[in-house]
Amino acid sequence: MIKKIKATKSEKIIFGFLISLAIFFFGSYFLIKDKCFFVKNYDPRKISFDNPQNIVILNVSCGNVIIELYPDISPNAVKRFKTLVTSEAYDDVAFHRVIKGVLVQAGDLEFGKKNNLNYGKIGNGKSGLGTINSEVDYPFNFNKGSVGLARTHKYNTEDSQFFIILRDEPLYETEYTPIGRVIYGLKALEKIKYLDKSQYVLRPDFINSLRMLVN
Amino acid sequence: MNIIRSFLLYFLLTTQVQANTIYNLIKIPNLEIYETNSKNKLRYLYAKQPFTIGVNNNINCYNSNKKDLDDKYKIIKKNLDRYNQKFLKKINLKYIVLCEDLSISKINTAGIPDHIMKTLILDIKFNQNYFERVIHHEVFHIINDNYKNLFDEKIWSDFNTKEFKYAKCSTCTDKLGLDTYTNTKGFFTEYSRSTASEDMAEVFSHLMIGVNLENIDPILKKKIQFIVINLQKIDKNFIL
Repeated sequence: MIKKIKATKSEKIIFGFLISLAIFFFGSYFLIKDKCFFVKNYDPRKISFDNPQNIVILNVSCGNVIIELYPDISPNAVKRFKTLVTSEAYDDVAFHRVIKGVLVQAGDLEFGKKNNLNYGKIGNGKSGLGTINSEVDYPFNFNKGSVGLARTHKYNTEDSQFFIILRDEPLYETEYTPIGRVIYGLKALEKIKYLDKSQYVLRPDFINSLRMLVN
Repeated sequence: MNIIRSFLLYFLLTTQVQANTIYNLIKIPNLEIYETNSKNKLRYLYAKQPFTIGVNNNINCYNSNKKDLDDKYKIIKKNLDRYNQKFLKKINLKYIVLCEDLSISKINTAGIPDHIMKTLILDIKFNQNYFERVIHHEVFHIINDNYKNLFDEKIWSDFNTKEFKYAKCSTCTDKLGLDTYTNTKGFFTEYSRSTASEDMAEVFSHLMIGVNLENIDPILKKKIQFIVINLQKIDKNFIL
C-alpha cells in the first residue's frame, strides 16, 4: 500500500514560485517578441483634422504615424516633401539613422531603397530634384515629435531626407528646417530598429508607405 | 490598461544612454545648455566637465563654478547682444561655449573661433581688464574667417609703414600686450603688431568698445575706415 505524502509548506511555496516563474518567462517571451504589442495603431479615417490637405500618413511596422505639415513655416520644404510623398518616392525607404530615444531619420531615395540598399553610401543619396534652401528663420519649437529636413553640415543642402525627433531638442531651432509635427502615433517610431553602438542601422526598418491624407 | 502597460514596460524594457545632441552639432564633448532664449538666437553652452578637442587634442578647457558662470554670462551676453540674429547668421556664429583656462597647444588664449562649426569658445577667466574687448576681438575672427576676400591682408599690411613687418603667426612673437596705446602710431595695442588678422581684430574690438577717435593717427584712420567699409558690405545695417 502506497502512503500519500503531503507536500510540506515550503515545497508548496517552491512549486508556486516555479509555476509563476514559468508563466512570467513565457509571457515575457511573447510580449517582448512582439515589439508592437503596446503600440496603438491610429486609423486616420476615424480622426477629424482641421487641415486635412496638410496631413500625411507614415505607415511603419508598428502602425500609422500621422504628421501635420506646416507650409506656413517652411513653404519650400513642405512643397518638396509633398512632391515626394505624392510620387510615392518614400515607399520602401530605410530608417537608416536611428538614435534610440532621440531621433529616426529616413528618406535617402538613392541608397536607402529596400531593393537597392547601399550600406557604404546610405545617408548621402539624392532625390534628383536638387537641393533646396534652408528655412530656419521662422521661430519653431523643436519639441518631441517635430519633423525636419536633414542636411549636410552646410545650410541650403536639404533634399529628401527627413528626421523625426523623439525628445525635445531646443538646439535644433534655426539649425534645421522644420516641416511638421507628429500628431498621432509617435510610439510606433520609438519601435524602429536601432543599434546600441552605431547611429547607422544594419538591416534597418523601412517605411511601408507615406501618403497624403487627401490627394 | 495603460497602467498595466506602463508597469510592464517599466520592468521589461531597459533604458540606454542617450546620444549627446550638442556633441553631434558642434563636436565638443561634456557641454550642457546654459541659455537658449537669447533674442539673437545665440546658444550659450557651458563645460560641465573639462574637455579636450582639436586635431592633436591640443585644445583644452575646464569647467567653471556656477557663480563665475552666472557673473560672466551677463557680461558676455550684454556684449554679444549687440549683434543681431541676421548678422550672426551671415557670419556663421551660433554657439558660445563658456569654460575656463582655455589653451591651445598649452598656450593660454581668450577664445577659439570656429566658423565651420559656428562656435566660439570663450575663456570666462581671461584677463578681466580686457574681457569685454576680447569678446569682440574673437567675434571679428569669426567674421574674418567667413569673409577672407573682404579683409585682404595684403591691402591691410600696405597701410603700415614700409619698414614694418608682421610676424608669421600670433604665437611666434612676444608682442602680446593688450593695453591700449596713448600714442597709437598705426596700432591700438602691442598685440596689434603680431599679425594682420590680429591687428584687424584689435581695431574692430576697440571700435565696438568705443574708443576716443580724436587723436588717432592717419594709418589707424585708414585701418578703421577699411574695417567699417567692409563690415557694411556684409551687412549695411551693422552698427559699430
